[in-house]
Amino acid sequence: MATNSIPASPPEEAKPIESADLVIGILADLSPEAVTTMCQTLGTLPGSLRIAVLQNGDPVNPSPANRSATPQSSTVSFAPSLLAKPGGAGTAPLNMAAAYQSVFAAGEKLGSRACCILASRLESETGRSAYRLAEPLLNGELDLVVPRYARHRFEGLLNSSIVAPLMRALYGKRLSNPMGPDFGVSRRLVQRLVGRERTGRGAANGLHPLASLTPLALCENLHVAELHLGTRSYPPPDWTNTASLVAEILGPVFLDIERNAACWQRMRVSAAVPAIGEPVSVQSDTASLDTSRLVESFALANRELQEIWSLILPPSTLVELRKLSRLRSEEFQMPDDVWVRIVYDFALAHRLRPINRDHLLKSMTPLYLGWVASYAHDLERDNAVPPDQRLERLAGAFEAGKPYFVSRWRWPDRFNP
Amino acid sequence: MWEQIKQALLQSTARFLTEFASLLPGLAALIVAVLLSLVLGWVLAIVVRRVLIGLRFDQRMAGWGFASMGEGSPLGSPTALVSRSLFLLVVLTGFLIGVAAFDFAWTSLFVRSILSYIPNIIGAVLVLVVGTIIARFVARSVLIGAVNLNLQYARLLSEGVKWLVIVLSVAMALEHLRIARGIVELAFGILFGGIVFGLALAIGLGSRDLVTKSLERDTKKAPEEIEDPLRHL
Repeated sequence: MATNSIPASPPEEAKPIESADLVIGILADLSPEAVTTMCQTLGTLPGSLRIAVLQNGDPVNPSPANRSATPQSSTVSFAPSLLAKPGGAGTAPLNMAAAYQSVFAAGEKLGSRACCILASRLESETGRSAYRLAEPLLNGELDLVVPRYARHRFEGLLNSSIVAPLMRALYGKRLSNPMGPDFGVSRRLVQRLVGRERTGRGAANGLHPLASLTPLALCENLHVAELHLGTRSYPPPDWTNTASLVAEILGPVFLDIERNAACWQRMRVSAAVPAIGEPVSVQSDTASLDTSRLVESFALANRELQEIWSLILPPSTLVELRKLSRLRSEEFQMPDDVWVRIVYDFALAHRLRPINRDHLLKSMTPLYLGWVASYAHDLERDNAVPPDQRLERLAGAFEAGKPYFVSRWRWPDRFNP
Repeated sequence: MWEQIKQALLQSTARFLTEFASLLPGLAALIVAVLLSLVLGWVLAIVVRRVLIGLRFDQRMAGWGFASMGEGSPLGSPTALVSRSLFLLVVLTGFLIGVAAFDFAWTSLFVRSILSYIPNIIGAVLVLVVGTIIARFVARSVLIGAVNLNLQYARLLSEGVKWLVIVLSVAMALEHLRIARGIVELAFGILFGGIVFGLALAIGLGSRDLVTKSLERDTKKAPEEIEDPLRHL
């Protein structure tokens, strides 16, 4: 049985790693203590595994004081040179894509059985998250482990309002965070992803691991599970950059919808996936949101972007939006079916390209902010339902609206309500 | 005396008739060339129109920012504009070929000068078309960006930027055509400067309240109010 080989001094790549059973890519900005804990926990994985940890910056150098007293069965080594260096803003989704690809490439090169990526800071148990992501993959039961975070009601709304319900309706699995960003991926799925990139269907067409992993696993009928990971630490919103964020997230999602059209048109109903671990509930979720700015943004866009929206949305939706813009700020309420049709119409327009794709996605931002305002109003009513139930209702509306999307996708010119 | 007058008249008539007769082949060639070019232009216009309809040219142009071009425009749809332009170009070429058939020094000079001017016309048209495409694209980018920043004068800003680019491209096109260079430069300077000044004034005056409100809000805000619970990702 090997002992923990977290290097006593920085390894400086003196002895390059030639193979590994498990590759861990740390993309989050974790403290040295958290990384040390993570490595020590990984060392307790059974089976004398060789584990390669990819992290930018200096590898941790644990002092004897913080070395684990628990027996270590696996070997943990650092290979920072195998990880793509983030350029500029390190957490921007496009930079993240390169980092993900480098982790998967390292997994392929080292012949690992699984890859895990940690891209977010968790509020508790960050040190154990890699262990928990890796364990079910190494048992050979699963191909993809996606996170399920406990979140406050105004957190992760781009995911909750568009990405998660859209993927659920299209690919037929109820996943809370299909775009991670923390993932556990089996060798089989990595090979399929890398294979897709090599055949030119990937990188040339903007294959983005964050957006493509889950649809690929679901379309290939691989085994997917959710892992309860607790609460994430989210960066505060940058209001001047919301449109770019929306475009960077939704662009790859819509591209993937186009790529997997044959797959998702076959799916009919959604089903739950197995969940690992115990759900964590958030405390003191009473934050309120000032919606006046959101409604103002929606109203301004409704006045100025009609010419652009008319190239994307059918007349009936434009009429609905005009009606909404006449409502007072506190009465603002966007019906779920209108929002669902908007998302589907934008996904279709992304395929048909009636306007430049960047313009298309950025012009969706005020509509998304309008939905956020409507959601906030829903939660603050006297008879308000809990956020999870509210989002479940929205997901149901996405599923109910799928025939509309399929019709428009198949006959974009003929079917235009 | 009478004989001399008669002689002169006969000679002038003969000369006129000879000259006229020498014109006839050229005239016939001009008519044939124009007729042929009309037929050729008509056929080419029909072919180009069908090809462009097959390629969904109008929809693509709408995607590039020319959505309003066909609606109520005297030029018609982009497809009609291209096919008509091609028709006129072919007819003009046929006319020039016909004119060149007259074996006169001034006609060849005329045709030569027109032909040497054609590259300038093509260059100017290209500059105008590219300028218009860029203007519309940039205007749309500015409009969406400004709306996403919640700027109330988004439309004004977008139109201002569009006209800046259009004025610039028109000035460049006129410069290419060598038309009244001095006046064009002067007019361009005045117009360009005027638009920039107008925009600066409008935005400056229009955003005065906005800046005041923003400053007031920042100074009045308690530290705990600054925390926004919204997280998009």
